[in-house]
Amino acid sequence: MSDQAAVEFQNVSRVFSMQHGSEAGAVKAVDNISLQIRDGEFFSLLGPSGSGKTTCLRMIAGFDRPTSGRILLGGKDVSDLPPYERDVNTVFQDYALFPHLTVGDNIAYGLMIKKTPKAERRKRVDEMLELVQLAGFADRKPAQLSGGQRQRVALARALINHPKVLLLDEPLGALDLKLRQQMQVELKAIQQRVGITFIFVTHDQEEALTMSDRIAVFSQGKIEQVGAPAEIYEHPATAFVAGFVGVSNLVSGEVAKRITGSEAMFSVRPEKIHLGATGGEDMFTANGKVRDVIYLGLYTRYLVELDGGGDLVVVEQNLKTTSMDVVKIKGQPVILSWKKEHIRKVGG
Amino acid sequence: MFQRISTYLYLRPRLSLALLLLPPLVWFLVVYIGSLLSMLVNSFFYLDGFTGQVVRQFTLDTYAKLFIPTNVQILSRTLFMALAVTLGCIVLAFPLSYYMARIASPRMKTFLYLAVTLPLWSSYVVRVYSWKLILAQEGIISWFARLLHLDGVLNWYLSSPLLGGPSLGISLTGVFLVFVYIWLPYMILPIQTALERVPKSLIEASSDLGASPAQTFRNVILPLAFPGVVAGSIFTFSLTLGDFIVPSLFGNSSFFIGKAVLTYQGTSGNIPLAAAFTMGPIVIMIVYLLIARRLGAFDAL
Amino acid sequence: MKLTLKMFHLIAALIVVSMILSACGAAATEAPATEAPATEAAGNEGAVGIVAWPGYIERGANDPAYDWVTAFEAETGCKVTVKDAATSDEMVQLMNSGEYDLVTASGDSSLRLVYGGSVQEIDVTKIPSYGTVDERLQNAPWHTVDKNGDGTPEHYGVPYQFGLNVLMYNTTVFPEPPTSWAVVFEPMDLPDGKPNKDRVQGYVGPIYIADAAVYLKAHKPELGITDPYELTEEQFQAALDLLKTQRTIAPKYWGDYLLQIEDFKNEGFAAAPSWPLQVNLLQADGQPIASVIPDEGATGWADTTMMSSKAPHPKCAYLWLEHSLDPKVQGDVAAWFGSNPSVPAGCTASELLTADGCKLNGFNDFDKIYFWKTPIAACGNGESNCVTYDRWTEEFTAIVGQ
Repeated sequence: MSDQAAVEFQNVSRVFSMQHGSEAGAVKAVDNISLQIRDGEFFSLLGPSGSGKTTCLRMIAGFDRPTSGRILLGGKDVSDLPPYERDVNTVFQDYALFPHLTVGDNIAYGLMIKKTPKAERRKRVDEMLELVQLAGFADRKPAQLSGGQRQRVALARALINHPKVLLLDEPLGALDLKLRQQMQVELKAIQQRVGITFIFVTHDQEEALTMSDRIAVFSQGKIEQVGAPAEIYEHPATAFVAGFVGVSNLVSGEVAKRITGSEAMFSVRPEKIHLGATGGEDMFTANGKVRDVIYLGLYTRYLVELDGGGDLVVVEQNLKTTSMDVVKIKGQPVILSWKKEHIRKVGG
Repeated sequence: MFQRISTYLYLRPRLSLALLLLPPLVWFLVVYIGSLLSMLVNSFFYLDGFTGQVVRQFTLDTYAKLFIPTNVQILSRTLFMALAVTLGCIVLAFPLSYYMARIASPRMKTFLYLAVTLPLWSSYVVRVYSWKLILAQEGIISWFARLLHLDGVLNWYLSSPLLGGPSLGISLTGVFLVFVYIWLPYMILPIQTALERVPKSLIEASSDLGASPAQTFRNVILPLAFPGVVAGSIFTFSLTLGDFIVPSLFGNSSFFIGKAVLTYQGTSGNIPLAAAFTMGPIVIMIVYLLIARRLGAFDAL
Repeated sequence: MKLTLKMFHLIAALIVVSMILSACGAAATEAPATEAPATEAAGNEGAVGIVAWPGYIERGANDPAYDWVTAFEAETGCKVTVKDAATSDEMVQLMNSGEYDLVTASGDSSLRLVYGGSVQEIDVTKIPSYGTVDERLQNAPWHTVDKNGDGTPEHYGVPYQFGLNVLMYNTTVFPEPPTSWAVVFEPMDLPDGKPNKDRVQGYVGPIYIADAAVYLKAHKPELGITDPYELTEEQFQAALDLLKTQRTIAPKYWGDYLLQIEDFKNEGFAAAPSWPLQVNLLQADGQPIASVIPDEGATGWADTTMMSSKAPHPKCAYLWLEHSLDPKVQGDVAAWFGSNPSVPAGCTASELLTADGCKLNGFNDFDKIYFWKTPIAACGNGESNCVTYDRWTEEFTAIVGQ
């Protein structure tokens, strides 16, 4: 890893002027963002739709230009360079495979543009097909492939150019759950093999947590928090991050004071809470009533209404209990307890 | 009664289907296929010159007449005109279609769409007639040429043996211009539709992979718009092949296929020869479609 | 899905209902046809159907002054139905259907109709006015034919109107009227000192070969042309050669009379064969245009009202044939159509035609007219070595269509 950032945002903003119908105005899609993405890391831009993560990605690719601020690739300002002069490649959400070209020609497209000799093109296409486990598919048309296969072709088409940075725009969004999980593992493996910086846009927190070296959580055009997955999960910096990344119970005000002695808002993850009293100095306890029970096989999710107001979600593994047992709990008063160290104070 | 018929038919989906398909099928079989077949059959008869009657006896002589020099020239003249008109339409239509499909604002697009289709609302004959005034010796173009002192250029052009004539209106160039004018919308609309169907992400992907706008145009946009170009050219090509009005209003009275068919069938009652003549454009179109298919124009269908 | 399926059945139901309704409707409209004619007392069928050239049978719909149907209907009780036909071919087809009683056949279709058996013999004794028809037309060969071979020709129609093809010219180019068709056939300088190349037209139709033959008849007597529609191979080739010469100076052959008017207004044409109609219209427009019948004579046309061999209303048909010879009717038609009456009295009987209407339309040039007829193998001299019309078409196409 060099100390030079692969991608750097310097006070970047992107404003879209809206002229639809009678409503005129401006929307700040990206609001004064500064960010450094290190060379060779798997970096995710995580956030709900409309949070500005895709606009950021498009500005790196060059499809969009910042209204203000600068974007640096490998230390060089590329803010005014068109996409075809930037050493980045993109895997599109809809794959954007050329329907009139074969899989082989799709993958070789970048090389063809660079006028690479045919023999070398063929060799490198074969290598790429090997890498994405599609050997022998070179002569098919994209329409003859499944969603997962198209996704691999899109990846191969981008990687064959050995870009400095690979941009992935929700590439797994259209795949079914099982395939998605498989591709997550593969993507990570490929990234480690080729050693290219991957910038991955997703709204799926689990996906981001699984694959990333670091994550930037976006909300309303701003970055809420940047950090490693564990850090984001365990130490959410804001209520938004706590709520968006994983399921979090947020408690504040009078009820918080009853539990911790302070009105300050805190969060606690559902899996950290136990049903029933567990004594000890290092524990917080709270009383409530089980309002709903959802049996999910591996674990059960309880919705507990706290005395004094507010709900807490509690997840417990079904180590000894059966579905018959958990249902009986519904409507019963319970005591909840969790280690003091598991609460996080959250700002705002 | 309505409800009962509905229920009755609901329980008999095949009957419903048959009833729905009956009118178009009858229309198609009788009007389209029927008349085509009758024409095909007629083209194998011949006209007895002595009685002026059609002799209903199988012969290939009528087809042989298609290959006398006069008729070969009429067929090839029409064919070349159709090709030239198609190319002219493509050259004019592509930039406009591209602008409409990918660049114009929604409002501009609506305006252009109207502007392109508006002429189709008015009578074909009126529009063609108005070109008489534009192309005539005393017409608008020569007036402008004189105004700009370009009449020398116009006269020089008109003195060329093949494309010229006493005026634009009485030259093959005039026929070409009017054909391009009247068939242009039929080229613009399919190309525009094809271009609109090219996802933006494909163009971004090409650019992302290092292609300059020109390279993107050649490698992505053009091949993907090709089916639209073929669809449009089927219109312009076949419409030009069959038209007899434009060549009878413009040009130097040289016959085109349509005029030849009209003359043989209309004034001399030689229906077999007229039918054989009509098989010409049909065969040409079939060959054209086969070539288009070979080029992959229908892969996207 | 459910919705579309429901709609599907609704549409199917609609089709059934509409089919039933249309069947009922058809039955309803046909019903009156079976009623007994109201004019049974008058002794005729109460109706007559006529296939005619556009403008030949007017009931005042275009101009109230031009109406020669309404009075006939009131007088006889025969309701007139007119079916316009645009070409001779269409006329022949319509007459083969047997639905119509009468047709205003031109010279290029009349013999086809006679020999094809589509029209029946006319008993001229049932037409009191037949004797008023111009004598030169009474027994014209395009409707008086000895079909049954008994040596006495039978009548197959009643002359209706005739007209001729004049030489139209621009008076600024020709201060004096040209006297010969040579100005449109041979390359030469016109009186204004400029060549006639690109300033003359021909007519686009195989029958135009006859115009060339008319010219040759006068200028090359050694060819021995007697009838421009009966040409031997040698005479025919000479006419074609003349057309080939003409093709080098005529950039265009006209087919549509409105277009010819445009051409004379905007394309600088100086001379062309034409109809009186165009001349009248151009003059009315203030254009420097006049017409002349050159010394060689001219081709022309004479139309005949013929009666279908399957005529459903023969009594009314005879009544119309008589009515069509009425001098005022004849004059009115001539005024409307730019033609000449077949009944000389028609020239003076119509206010619409005006006093010198007949003169303008070429009535006095009858002797110079070679009437259109279909070229057939049988020559007038009893031989059958004349060039047939299908060859006329082919050769004309080869010369003018190039």
